[in-house]
Amino acid sequence: MLKNKIYIIFILVFALLMPIGYFTGLVPINTLTLWGRYFCLAIAALGVDLIWGYTGILSMTQALFFCMGAYGMGMYMTLSNLPEGQFLPSFMVWNQVTELPFFWVPFDNFSYALVLSILVPGVFAGVLGYFIFRKRIKGVYFAIITQAIALAMFLLFSRNETMLGGTNGLTDFKFFLGFDLRDTSVKFGLYILSLLALGLIYWYCHGLVNSKFGKALVAIRDSESRMRFTKYKVTHYSVAIFMIGAMIAAVGGMLYMPQTGIITPGRMDVQASIEMIIWVALGGRGKLKGAVVGALVLNLMYSVFTTVLPSSWLYILGGLFVITVLYLPKGIVGLVDQMKEKLNSMFVKTA
Amino acid sequence: MKNKISIFVAFLMVVIGWTQEVESYSIPLDTCVNVLLHKDATRLKEVATCLVTNDDIATYPLISAIVDKRLFVYKGTAVTKFPGDTLYYSVYPKLETISVQQEKLSEVNFPRSIRTKFNVLSKKVNLVHPNKSVREMSFRSFKTTGVLSDVDFLTSLKINEEEEEVLLAADEAIYSIWLHSNNAALQNKVLSELEENMNVHMLDPLLDYVALKENTNVEGKERAKKIIENIESREKTINVIQNLFSGISLGSILLLVALGLSIIYGLGGVINMSHGEFVMIGAYTAFSVQQFFIGFLPESWFDLFFWASLPLSFVVSGCFGLLVEKLVIRHLYSRPLESLLGTWGVSLILIQLARTIFGDVTAVKSPEILSGGINVTQGLMLPYNRLFIIGLTLVMVLLTYFVFFKSKLGLKIRAVTQNRDMSASLGVSVKRIDSLTFFLGSGLAGVAGCAMTLIGNVVPNMGQTYIVDSFLVVVVGGVGKLIGTIISALGLGVLSKVFEFFYEAVYGKVILLLIIFFFLQYKPKGLFPDKGRHSDD
Repeated sequence: MLKNKIYIIFILVFALLMPIGYFTGLVPINTLTLWGRYFCLAIAALGVDLIWGYTGILSMTQALFFCMGAYGMGMYMTLSNLPEGQFLPSFMVWNQVTELPFFWVPFDNFSYALVLSILVPGVFAGVLGYFIFRKRIKGVYFAIITQAIALAMFLLFSRNETMLGGTNGLTDFKFFLGFDLRDTSVKFGLYILSLLALGLIYWYCHGLVNSKFGKALVAIRDSESRMRFTKYKVTHYSVAIFMIGAMIAAVGGMLYMPQTGIITPGRMDVQASIEMIIWVALGGRGKLKGAVVGALVLNLMYSVFTTVLPSSWLYILGGLFVITVLYLPKGIVGLVDQMKEKLNSMFVKTA
Repeated sequence: MKNKISIFVAFLMVVIGWTQEVESYSIPLDTCVNVLLHKDATRLKEVATCLVTNDDIATYPLISAIVDKRLFVYKGTAVTKFPGDTLYYSVYPKLETISVQQEKLSEVNFPRSIRTKFNVLSKKVNLVHPNKSVREMSFRSFKTTGVLSDVDFLTSLKINEEEEEVLLAADEAIYSIWLHSNNAALQNKVLSELEENMNVHMLDPLLDYVALKENTNVEGKERAKKIIENIESREKTINVIQNLFSGISLGSILLLVALGLSIIYGLGGVINMSHGEFVMIGAYTAFSVQQFFIGFLPESWFDLFFWASLPLSFVVSGCFGLLVEKLVIRHLYSRPLESLLGTWGVSLILIQLARTIFGDVTAVKSPEILSGGINVTQGLMLPYNRLFIIGLTLVMVLLTYFVFFKSKLGLKIRAVTQNRDMSASLGVSVKRIDSLTFFLGSGLAGVAGCAMTLIGNVVPNMGQTYIVDSFLVVVVGGVGKLIGTIISALGLGVLSKVFEFFYEAVYGKVILLLIIFFFLQYKPKGLFPDKGRHSDD
C-alpha cells in the first residue's frame, strides 16, 4: 500500500493536476514544457540507474548517448525545416559544403531518423562495451576510459568538419512533423508524450529488473567473480545492459530535442554525464524511483537556483555531490524509507 | 561647391609646390636639423626635401623619430625615446644615450604633410634602430623589396654591425636581391655561398629564383633545387625535434600531475577528481605571491617572486589537500566510485571559489631569467621556461623516488598500499600515512600548477584540462606504480604532440585515445601490473 503511494501521487500530479491547471489557465504552458524536459532527463537517468545502480558499472557516456539521440532527431528537424529551394543547412553553406554528407541523407525521412537515433547509440555502446568488458575492464578503469571517450566525442562534435553544427549545435526549428512548435497545443502534446514515454520506459525497466535478467545484473554488481565461476556470461550481460541503457538515454534525447529546440556539444561533456550520475545517486541508486526523483528534484533545483542565485549554483551542486556521497548512500528514496521504518518501529513500540 | 573648389586649389598648390621643391638645392645637414628643431615654418618643406635627397645615414634616427612622432628637444639637441625603453637617446649627429631632466623636455610635432615626405625613406630609417630585432626586421624587409642599387648601402651598414642575427639578416637581404637580379655571376655567387652555409630563411627567394628560371636551362636551377631540398629536409628535422621537445615538456607537466594522482589511488583506492584543482590552487598561489611582491616589496626583488612561490605552492596545495582529505575523502577510502563523485563535487566548489575570489583570467609574469631560450641551431630554439619545467619535474620525480623507496615514510606508504589491514595490525598508523600521502600528492600538483604559470594563463578551471589526461596516464601506467606513471606520462605527452603535428589537435587526441583503448585490450592492468593472481571479492 505504502509502496504504491508515490506512483499514485506522481500520476495524480503530472497526468491530472497539471493538465487541468493548464486547461483552466492556472499553469502556464512553459511550466509544462519545463517538466516535459525534466521527464526526458529522467528517462536518461533510468538508463544510468540500470547501468550503475543495478549492475555497478560507472559509465560516463550516458550524456553522450542522450545527445546522440537528440542529434539524430535534430538532424531530421534541420532537414525538414529547410526553407523552400534550399537543400543544405545554413551552417554547411557557410563551410562551403556543396553536397549533403552521406550520414545526413537517411535523416531526411522521419521513420529512418527514428530508428537510427536509437540504433546508432545502441550499436556504438555495443561495440564500445564489447571491447571494454571483454577484457574485464571495470570499476575505476571503466569510468576513466568512458570519461575520455566522452571528452573525445565532445571534441569531435564541436568541430565544424564533422558537419554537426560545431559548437553552435543544431537549432532554429519551427516545425516538427508539420506541427508548429510555437503552438501551445503542440507543446502540450509533447509534454504528454514525454510523460507517456517516461511511464512506459519505467514500466519496462521495472519488468527488467524484476526478471531473472535483472537479478543477474544485481548479482554481477555484488560479486562479479562468483557470477563468472557459476558460468554466467558476465560480459554478455554487461554489454546488453550497457546497450539498453544507451538506447533508453537516446529515447530521452529524441524527446528532449523538439522541446528545447537546441542541442549543442556542451550537453555531452564530462560534466553532463557526471551530473546524470549524481541525479541517480541523490535520488537513490538501485531504485528506479530514485532515478526519476533525483532527476526531477535536481533539475528543478537547477532551474530555481540559476534564476534566483546564479553564482551559488555550483556551490550547491558541489555540496550536494559531497553530502550525497557522505551521508545519503541510499539517496532521498532510501532516506524516506529509513524514516518510515523508524516511525513504524516507534509506533510498534508504543503500541 | 565653394568648399570643393578651395580644396582643389589647395591641392594644386601643394602639387605645384612639391614639384618646385624637388629641384631644391643642398643645405648643410646641421642647418637642416636646426630648422627642424625650431620649426621654422617657412623652410620646413624645403629642409625635409633636402634631407630626403641627401639620404644620409646620420639623419636616419632623426627622421624615424619624426615619422613615429617621438621627437623631443632638450637644450637644443634632438632627443628621442623608443617605445618599450626607459632611456633617452640623442638622435643627431650620433645616436647615443643621453641623460635628461624630464621637465626640460619639449615635444616637437610636425604636420602630416611633412611626415609623409619622409615615406620614401621609411624602409631604410630603421636599419640603424638601437633595438637589434627591429634592425633585423628592417634588413629582412629588403629581401622582397630591395633592388640592386641598395646593395652597396646595405654592405656599408654591415661594417659597423656587431649582432650576429642582424648580420645574418643583412646577408639574406643582399643574397635575395642578387638572386632576383638578372646577373648570372651574382646569382651563382649566392648559390655557392648557400651551398656552403645553409640558411633556412633563404627558402622563399630560392623558390622565386627557381620559378623564374623554370623554362630556361641554367645550371643554377638544379643547384638551387638541391639547396631547397636540403633546407626542407632540415626544416623537417627541426620540426620533429621541436615537437619532441614540447612533447617532453607537456609530458613532464602531466607527470607532475599524475604522480600524485597515482600514488593516492594506489594507497587508498581513491579517485581524486579534485586533483586538478590543486594544480589550480598552486597556480593561484604563484599569482598571489606575485601580487604580494608587487604590493609590499621593493621592485628589485620582483624577479625572486617565482622562486618564492614554488615551495609555497607545494605547501598551500598540500594543505588544501589535507583539508579535503580530512573533510571528505577520509570517509571514502576503498570506495573508488563514490570518491569519484564526491571529489567531483569538491572540484566544482573549489573552481567556483577561485572564480569568486580572482575573477576569470589572470596571468603570472615569468621571471626575467626564464625568458628567451637556447638557440641550438638556426630555427631551433629551446625556450628556457620549458627546459626549466623539465628540470623541475626531474628534481621532483627524484625526490619522490627517494621518499618512496629510501625513507621510512615511503616504506610505510608502500606497506599500506599493499595491504592496509595488515599494515595497521603491524603498528603502522594508517590514518597518519593517508594524510601525509595526500599532502605530498596534492603538493606535487601544486608545484605543477606553479610551473604551468610559466607557459599559460591562470584560470579557475585550468585543472580540468589536465585531469582526464592525467587519469589516462594513471590507467596506462598501472595504478600506484611510479615507473609506470613516468613512462606513460612522457609517452602520452610526446605522442599527443606528435599526433598534433601530423593531424589537427582534436583528431590527434582521438587517435591517441584509440591507441590507449587498444593498448588496454592487451594490457588491461596497465604497463606494469602486479604479479600473481588475487581475487577482488
